[in-house]
Amino acid sequence: MTTPREALLHVEDVHKSYGPVPVLKGVHLDLYPGEVHALAGGNGSGKSTLIKVLAGIEHADAGTLRVPGRPTTDLAGFGAAASSRAGLRFVHQDLGLVLDMTVAENFALSRGFPARFGAVAWSRLRRAVADRLERFDLAVDPGARVASLRPADRTMVAVARALADDEPGQILVLDEPTASLPHHEVDILLDALARRAAKGQAILYVSHRLAEVLSLAHRVTVLRDGTVAESRPTADLDGLGLAELIAGRSVETLYPARAVPTEKPERPVVQVRELCAGPLREVSMEAHAGEIVGVAGLLGSGRSTLLRSLFGAVVPRSGSITVEGRPLPPSVRAAMRAGVALVPEDRQREALFGDLSVVRNTTIATLARHTRWSWLRPSSERAATRDAIDDFAIRVPAPAQAITRLSGGNQQKVVLARWLQREPRVLLLDEPTQGVDVLARADIYRRLREVAVGGTAVVVASSDVEELANLCDRVVVLRAGRVSARLRGTEVAIPAIVRHSYADREAS
Amino acid sequence: MSRALGERYGLLLLLAGVCLFFGVLPASAAAFPTAANLQAVLGNIAVVSVLGIAAVFPLVGGHFDFSVAATSLVSSITCAALLSDHHAPLVVGVAGGLLAGLVVGLVNATLVAVLRLNAFIVTIGTATLLPGVVQWYTGGVGITRDIAQPLRDLGSGTWLGLPRVIWPVALVIAACWFVLGQTAVGRRLHAVGSNPAAARLVGIPVTRVSFLAFVISGGLAGVAGILLTARNGGGLVTSGVDLLFPALAAVFLGGTAIDPGRYNVLGTVVGALFVAVSVSGLTLAGAADWVPDVFNGAALVVAVAVSTLLARRRGTP
Repeated sequence: MTTPREALLHVEDVHKSYGPVPVLKGVHLDLYPGEVHALAGGNGSGKSTLIKVLAGIEHADAGTLRVPGRPTTDLAGFGAAASSRAGLRFVHQDLGLVLDMTVAENFALSRGFPARFGAVAWSRLRRAVADRLERFDLAVDPGARVASLRPADRTMVAVARALADDEPGQILVLDEPTASLPHHEVDILLDALARRAAKGQAILYVSHRLAEVLSLAHRVTVLRDGTVAESRPTADLDGLGLAELIAGRSVETLYPARAVPTEKPERPVVQVRELCAGPLREVSMEAHAGEIVGVAGLLGSGRSTLLRSLFGAVVPRSGSITVEGRPLPPSVRAAMRAGVALVPEDRQREALFGDLSVVRNTTIATLARHTRWSWLRPSSERAATRDAIDDFAIRVPAPAQAITRLSGGNQQKVVLARWLQREPRVLLLDEPTQGVDVLARADIYRRLREVAVGGTAVVVASSDVEELANLCDRVVVLRAGRVSARLRGTEVAIPAIVRHSYADREAS
Repeated sequence: MSRALGERYGLLLLLAGVCLFFGVLPASAAAFPTAANLQAVLGNIAVVSVLGIAAVFPLVGGHFDFSVAATSLVSSITCAALLSDHHAPLVVGVAGGLLAGLVVGLVNATLVAVLRLNAFIVTIGTATLLPGVVQWYTGGVGITRDIAQPLRDLGSGTWLGLPRVIWPVALVIAACWFVLGQTAVGRRLHAVGSNPAAARLVGIPVTRVSFLAFVISGGLAGVAGILLTARNGGGLVTSGVDLLFPALAAVFLGGTAIDPGRYNVLGTVVGALFVAVSVSGLTLAGAADWVPDVFNGAALVVAVAVSTLLARRRGTP
């Protein structure tokens, strides 16, 4: 990769400030033909800002961009059209597909409808799209609604659409493409991308997930505090090495040490017996004070349903749930009174109050303790928020700002702090580190272990097998709504979890 | 931070500017900066402010309410009919008017919060239906006989140099400011308006909170109806309904002030003042009849644009 050939994309000395705060301080980036180049960095490293500058969404204060055969461009006036002319093709995390429309219609939305006598030439459109999909090895019917496609295929459809004009020298920029994909879909997508790369497609790949960066990318550029900390081949890097580059310091371990196995109290804090709800069939499990229990399983295996049932948000068809020996009625408020807390899977839709401030998001589940004579005391709310900010090292410009101004990792810390203030007996977390960068992840893992040691039963449902294998004391594996394995001690490992998640379904 | 201050008090500054303008403008300088005109303006904003605040509660909870003005009409007619047609004591008349407002609020609450119908459409429905019912009941003739004198005095008298109606309105403003901005109930309503799914998962009874917002809205519209009866000296069949748009203009203008980007009680009052002062100034300066309408409409559009852009800028980095 170090041969002196012309870069497909040469970005130099990018500066950008938001008000007085410098975010990019002289960043450079070189992308070579046929290369998958990963862009990595923690929250606030400037990674997203650089992508926005390249997409022409944000204007840099200074910096230049050069692509072969074109004059050097000043990034200060670089808009979306200029970005497209430079050959940059973006696929953002939300893909920009309309789920209710067909694949062909989605192509036409951005590329135009072919017309015949003023009417849409549907058959011509279908043929063109079918041809395009075939060249991307996508076994997808152009007439299929996007909503009916599997998640990895949707992403590839967006990729095929982004590259549809076939100009030479196109650079595909993927911004966190796997953030909302379940584990097995990630593998399928990475395979498909690797095939594109093998055919010579240059890719700029932005991801929090170190394993993906290492398996897919040839080179990685690590941003830290608005500067390039390192830009080098991935061949001689491992996960820990990359994490340390991102952190800028040694990361002893991402995961905290497991608890020393002690004598378990005879009665579990949570006991689930023969639970039937949603996809769940006769699921029994328990969680004791002081342990972290993982819930593994593929999408649709019932992971989330199990957690939501424990939180009273799903009404079970049959079976029983007891907390501290008392039956739990199917109501969120009853579950909260019983000391249960849930950090939901979909942060944006189910946890955050987007137009409320950080303070109000922090205290929403503990309003009673900030109330005197039915008067909410702002000073008390601010003090509680300050405590949470200090406790979790949350990066907050100002607590009175809207929560949406924080990065994903900091938002998740706020949601976690919201619940930890209640000192729950049972802490349920659904995908606790989705869209959370590696440093914030280490903070969250460490905090979960502390909470468990403090006597809380912690239950973590996740599609990230590595996370479960390294964090949990025990793992319950669900398959098609049934418990397929209960792993403990040394059995808690990636191969076992994967095997029991995937094994053939029994006839039921 | 100076920008934040500018946002917060921008509307107040604008209000001061408008006052100064009409106070100096030769055409209105004689009549505008007088105690009599101040009293007239304050008397006019009494009902509009209460109606605006009535709409604020559902709006904070994420629902439109177009029925507040029609509800106040029903309340006003009920009060007047009880006093005039049925010779009821004043207390019964007032209680009946308030009850009428609460009943409409309950109906809206049931349709929107319990049955989960679209509030936008439901309240346009009730806002169309209620004046029709009033037409049927009154035969299109206002009820102005035998209205109890204390109620008339409330509408036209002064106390401590200010119109009497201002005093109960000040109480309503203070109470609503407290409930919406300073209590857990108000905070929960904001949370429901922001994200109902997340609100449910922090233990907020979403249905009950939305229900309550519409009942409070109906009750406040009831209060506005009583004040209307007092101001008009009876129940007029067309009064109230024409206040919907000034009230909504006050609400949306208010969304640009005090707590910028969010509907709020004090902002609504400032918004109502702004519209009333401007219209009064324009009228005294001899502007044509159509000018106040154009001004109200323009203020509404500008207010929505400004408050939406503020909220959007707050929401995105």
